[in-house]
Amino acid sequence: MPPTRKRKLDQTASTIHATSPPKRHQAEEFKEVEAALPATPQTLTSDKGMDSDDDFNSVASSMDLGEEMSSSVDFGAGDSDGDVEEYEDDNTGFEATAKDLANKRKAFETDFKVYSPQDIQNQQDGQVAEVANLLEQPPEATAILLRYGRWNKERLIEQYMDNQEELLEKAGLGQDIRRNPPRIETVIGFACDICCEDGQDLESFAMTCGHRFCTDCYRQYLTQKIKDEGEAARIKCPGDRCNKVIDAKSLDLLVPSDLTDRYHVLLMRTYVDDRESLKWCPAPNCVYAVECGVKKRDLLKVVPTVHCECKHAFCFGCTLADHQPCPCALVKKWLKKCADDSETANWISANTKECPKCHSTIEKNGGCNHMTCRKCKNEFCWMCMGLWSEHGTSWYNCSRFEEKSGHDARDAQAKSRQSLERYLHYYNRYANHEQSAKLDKDIFHKTEKKMTLLQSTSGMSWIEVQFLEGASQALQQCRETLKWTYAFAYYLARNNQTEIFEDNQRDLEMAVENLSEMFEKPTDQLAGLKVEMLDKTAYCQKRKVVVLDDTARKLKEGEWDLLLLTPC
Amino acid sequence: MATLCTTRLTEERKNWRKDHPFGFVARPMKTPQGALDLKKWDCAIPGKDKTIWEGGLFKLEMHFPDEYPTKPPKCKFVPALFHPNVYPSGTVCLSILNEEEGWRPAITIKELLVGIQMLLDEVNPESPAQADAYNLFKKDRVAYEKKVKQVVKDNPAP
Repeated sequence: MPPTRKRKLDQTASTIHATSPPKRHQAEEFKEVEAALPATPQTLTSDKGMDSDDDFNSVASSMDLGEEMSSSVDFGAGDSDGDVEEYEDDNTGFEATAKDLANKRKAFETDFKVYSPQDIQNQQDGQVAEVANLLEQPPEATAILLRYGRWNKERLIEQYMDNQEELLEKAGLGQDIRRNPPRIETVIGFACDICCEDGQDLESFAMTCGHRFCTDCYRQYLTQKIKDEGEAARIKCPGDRCNKVIDAKSLDLLVPSDLTDRYHVLLMRTYVDDRESLKWCPAPNCVYAVECGVKKRDLLKVVPTVHCECKHAFCFGCTLADHQPCPCALVKKWLKKCADDSETANWISANTKECPKCHSTIEKNGGCNHMTCRKCKNEFCWMCMGLWSEHGTSWYNCSRFEEKSGHDARDAQAKSRQSLERYLHYYNRYANHEQSAKLDKDIFHKTEKKMTLLQSTSGMSWIEVQFLEGASQALQQCRETLKWTYAFAYYLARNNQTEIFEDNQRDLEMAVENLSEMFEKPTDQLAGLKVEMLDKTAYCQKRKVVVLDDTARKLKEGEWDLLLLTPC
Repeated sequence: MATLCTTRLTEERKNWRKDHPFGFVARPMKTPQGALDLKKWDCAIPGKDKTIWEGGLFKLEMHFPDEYPTKPPKCKFVPALFHPNVYPSGTVCLSILNEEEGWRPAITIKELLVGIQMLLDEVNPESPAQADAYNLFKKDRVAYEKKVKQVVKDNPAP
């Protein structure tokens, strides 16, 4: 299989690390050693001639990313290691990292952009202003139109040009509101249809639809909608069968300022929810939103991990925490499999048999083959499952000729046993890394203590002990990746690609375990291990990049043979 | 907002007594002590003329939540009615009775009752609420109409 061989050579060649003798098993085959390895993946030299600034710009103008994204998804600065600190206090978050884009883009990296609430507001306002100009409608009305058209500017403008009145009617705007700016009035002879009050100086309000209600009722209606129902973008006139949508200006006129704030927050939420290319960061209390051009239909070919300003790394496709290299669909399947008790059923079928008469589940825990069902008193042979009375004199050991049915039953049992073992193999490793990653979080807290201790014992400066934090973070990230490689591997058919994958997986695992072991060393030895730890940290990162890059590339090209039909 | 709720219901009662469509009934129930309970109304809807529902009178209860008129009342046929858009519990499934859909605070009790009367003959096959009536309506219109006429006979207008 020459092509596979070649690929193996390519990827191993770029991954050999000069200071890691245990990983030499592949190096021995191909004596190519990469020159001095830099300390962090950000500084890896690029082998693709891609100009990152151009790509960055294309993200900024986002809308038309669509097709291209699926074939070249990558992002330079997102890889969540040391450089996060560089831009953490930068509000817009991206400009500062643009320079990092000059570095290598890997197949597993995705273009994205983080927005603060203010950015989103500005973006929204910008779009409204732009379209308002074109359509010659006031901004409040334009905002309603854009929300109606789900922020698809081009289509909206087209529809507007086609049939202005129909669009205005459908979007809940009705007549032109420029001529009738919203205002609160007292109208003689007015009686509110909601509370039936008709006082002389009763203040009332009506939108251009003319449905007039007293301000108290209007206010209460809006409060209910905004506070209790969380509705904002499509609050309609309280009049029967009136589809007119209340605009921001009228609302500001009617409700107290705390509600207006809430209203605008809700509007912003619908803005992000309405757009496929925007998603809120799912981390608790995080206010940022992320823009990414990866479409739903691409998710089988790419795992779009994005890194929020709050440092939370999540998948743009399913908003679960970062699960590279495993694609969303497999993650969903895997988590479902782990959560439901399909494996309980599997265990039962692998380790028990049913009474041939009453179908009670029986686990044989010793004794001879002469079974007597406790429930129905049926006597049968554990070997052939046939009636014991038919066995004649051949007690204790069934030597009867194997009927086909008996054979099939045994086959099915063996299969089910094998499938259980396979699942458990992957699940144990998956769960182990999940557990270890949790423990590593504890280590991280201990590390902080170690770092201060180290500063006082060895006379090292704060900046000099930062390597411990870097190592700890690398450890956690690599474990997270490893965890998902096992879920991914569960769905892989056995072939050459899978073997390469497993090689890479094993290398990463060994590197991680090595680094993890060093952490356990007493503090006084740590200072002496600094160089080695830095090396190992870099090596772990590098191995992670290899695994992710390889998987992502093959995923994009559809080279994985996925066992999507595995019973689950 | 109990105050808005009760003022509005008082007003609704006043308007109803002044004028209401022929054949309809709507009056607040009495508490066991004999006082008026404005939040629960006994109503009755006549079948519309020239439809298969003609000649029937169907009893319905309206329960008004404290948030009325911001939120709609719950309308329930007692006993439950054989109709594709009426739940087995008797609750009516109608867009203007759904706060997330067509409910508006300005809708009056009169409009609600007339709306439900129209629903009787204008079945909405998009939102079935009970299996019996819906299946019959879909599969065997003749049998459905026969069954409706039986229901009308069992609930005759005085």
